[in-house]
Amino acid sequence: MTGRTAIYNARLLDPASGRDEKGGILIENGLIADLGIGITKASPADLRIDAHGKALAPGLIDLRVKTGEPGAENKETLETASEAAAAGGVTTFVVMPDTDPVIDSVALVDFIKRRADGVAKVKVHPAAGLTIGLDGQKMSEIGLIKEAGAVFFSNGDRPVEDAGVLRRAMQYASSFDVLVASRPDTPALSKNTVMTAGAFAARLGLRGAPPEAEWIALERDLMLAETTGARLLADCISTGRSLKAIERARKAGVKVACSVAAYSLFFNELDVGDYLTYCKVQPPFRAEADRLALIDGLKRGVVDAVVSAHDPQPPEDKRLPIAEAAYGAVGLETLLPALLSLAARDELPLLAALKAVTSGPADLLGLPQGRLKKGAPADLVLFDATAPWACDRDDLSSRSKNSPFDGRKLEGKVLRTWVNGATVFERG
Amino acid sequence: MAADAYAFPHRHLLGIEGLNRLDIETLLNLGDRYVDLNRQRVKHAGTLSGQTLVNLFFENSTRTQGSFEIAGRRLGADVVTMPIATSSVKKGETLVDTAMTLNAMRPDLLVIRHPSSGAVKLLSRKVDCAVINAGDGTHEHPTQALLDALTIRRRVGDIGGMRIAICGDILHSRVARSNVACLNVLGAEVRLIAPRTLTPSGAEDWGAKLFTDMREGLKGCDVVMMLRLQQERMDGAYLPSAREFFHFYGLDEEKLSHAKPTAFVMHPGPMNRGVEIESSIADHKTRSLITEQVEMGVAVRMAVLETLAKNAPEIGAKNR
Repeated sequence: MTGRTAIYNARLLDPASGRDEKGGILIENGLIADLGIGITKASPADLRIDAHGKALAPGLIDLRVKTGEPGAENKETLETASEAAAAGGVTTFVVMPDTDPVIDSVALVDFIKRRADGVAKVKVHPAAGLTIGLDGQKMSEIGLIKEAGAVFFSNGDRPVEDAGVLRRAMQYASSFDVLVASRPDTPALSKNTVMTAGAFAARLGLRGAPPEAEWIALERDLMLAETTGARLLADCISTGRSLKAIERARKAGVKVACSVAAYSLFFNELDVGDYLTYCKVQPPFRAEADRLALIDGLKRGVVDAVVSAHDPQPPEDKRLPIAEAAYGAVGLETLLPALLSLAARDELPLLAALKAVTSGPADLLGLPQGRLKKGAPADLVLFDATAPWACDRDDLSSRSKNSPFDGRKLEGKVLRTWVNGATVFERG
Repeated sequence: MAADAYAFPHRHLLGIEGLNRLDIETLLNLGDRYVDLNRQRVKHAGTLSGQTLVNLFFENSTRTQGSFEIAGRRLGADVVTMPIATSSVKKGETLVDTAMTLNAMRPDLLVIRHPSSGAVKLLSRKVDCAVINAGDGTHEHPTQALLDALTIRRRVGDIGGMRIAICGDILHSRVARSNVACLNVLGAEVRLIAPRTLTPSGAEDWGAKLFTDMREGLKGCDVVMMLRLQQERMDGAYLPSAREFFHFYGLDEEKLSHAKPTAFVMHPGPMNRGVEIESSIADHKTRSLITEQVEMGVAVRMAVLETLAKNAPEIGAKNR
């Protein structure tokens, strides 16, 4: 990166400030040096890029990505995940601790950071295991690991079942002002299930996960957050009732944020259709009423973050009878298009959609990026907000291709992505 | 002397709670005098001559048990330490039956340590003699608080207005509970420093300020009291590991530098060097009061034994 880059003739979209106007951005030393209507073709710069009126927004921040590194590099590596991220306009992502070995120590947090520095095209932050080996029994070295650079603590997809353990871990975490993420789930109710419980699951003859599995765990987590004073991220909630519980807790002063998987905004239970294993995810696709309630929550600013819930699984784990197939769907490359499609279909205002993938998660983690502002890192995405395309899993950059969007029509395409002012993706 | 004129109004010493400032100062003043006696070659006082002191320790202890034994002997009492490990308690006798049996032997003073909170109080209801709590579960350890107060008073000065931090495993510490009560009565500003897992819920109502950040908590402190951290607390339930605890809550030179430059360091022992306290601080010639605490322990226990012996109802009635 030498000199100054001017991107002009763009539609600037900044959810943090509510900006939606024509203009440009001047990049210098990897930072946004200036922005607005004053940045034109005539602006002094070493490199000038004509945006042709397309949308220019902060690069996306994704709070939930799994890779297979370390331990299952056949699924995905930090490198391949970062390529998928760049292609999806995601410039920062958080890797979950569910790896082998689990990211539950200073050494592994350090490993992820160094490895990402070496191979990843985008910014990668590790989340660390709340308990050692995600065993739900012994808390990890939360204080030391936070100092080593973990952005939050989570038990990943293995919820802590013992309320005593979770309570003490949250108490301890609150001593260090640590964010604790918990995907609310009650394994006793959701174990070995394939999709959401209901008439459709019954018709397909599939074992269903009742939404109570989420509600019971969420209510417990909210109570513990209230009594311990810990900061909680209710990770990947999937029902309207969960949103209500969160709003109620917030009114009572509980420090709780929540995230929703992009697929929960886009699909409902019927999309599982003809036993599609790519649609077997945790939490499962829910009822249409839940999908609409989550979109409404996003509009009203109740949902802090939308995540890709990127979870690569190779064919040998997916090309199986649905009851035997692994959970999980890749999502880094479809996160932005899914949101843009909802905006293009007038289900969601564009800025509200973008907020949950930019300044929303940035504020949650205290990151400087995720906004168009002088002095902020020049992590940017240029996209066509309405270009129609059909998703083909073979076109995905991810090492694994298990996308529920495969074969579906989407609107909105990423054209170019910058991290610290350097181009990391450009559509050919 | 004023201290002698005040009639200590309690039959037992079960805790600091319930004692007023005059009660505590009476014991400390008498303890002060015994420090002088203990520093002489001949350390005998005949005050408890002919009386029987029974040490009943249901939990292992070296220093407290030894300290009470020495205190009793220096006052001329007959001291008997019951070997609990081999006694009928191990054979299934109930606590109350043990108390009744002992009571029938007519001791005058009974010093009890028990792993269950409230057990000493239960025993005190079943016996006729004076009972001294030498530590019950995670409830109280009053003679520790008194010896700490005496140590501070002698070495640092008037406790009123002093800022004193108690750091570490507050949750499981009877020493912390007794010390908070004692130092509050004597007018100190007490601070508790611990991660939230080791802070009892409701501690904010103890009359002490709570801190999770040790450096912040130590600011301006005159005295830093460290607590012992039990090994079994470091297995991931309350704390992730010993090294993490030491990193954030172990007393080292750097953290101590946030207290007053003249701040003194105390520890009730036994210490885990390198876990809650760095050796160079524990052994510091001018700032560590740790061995002095042990010395004060004998003196203050002599004061407690003598004061309670005087108060025993039957003996008092016969003598006067």
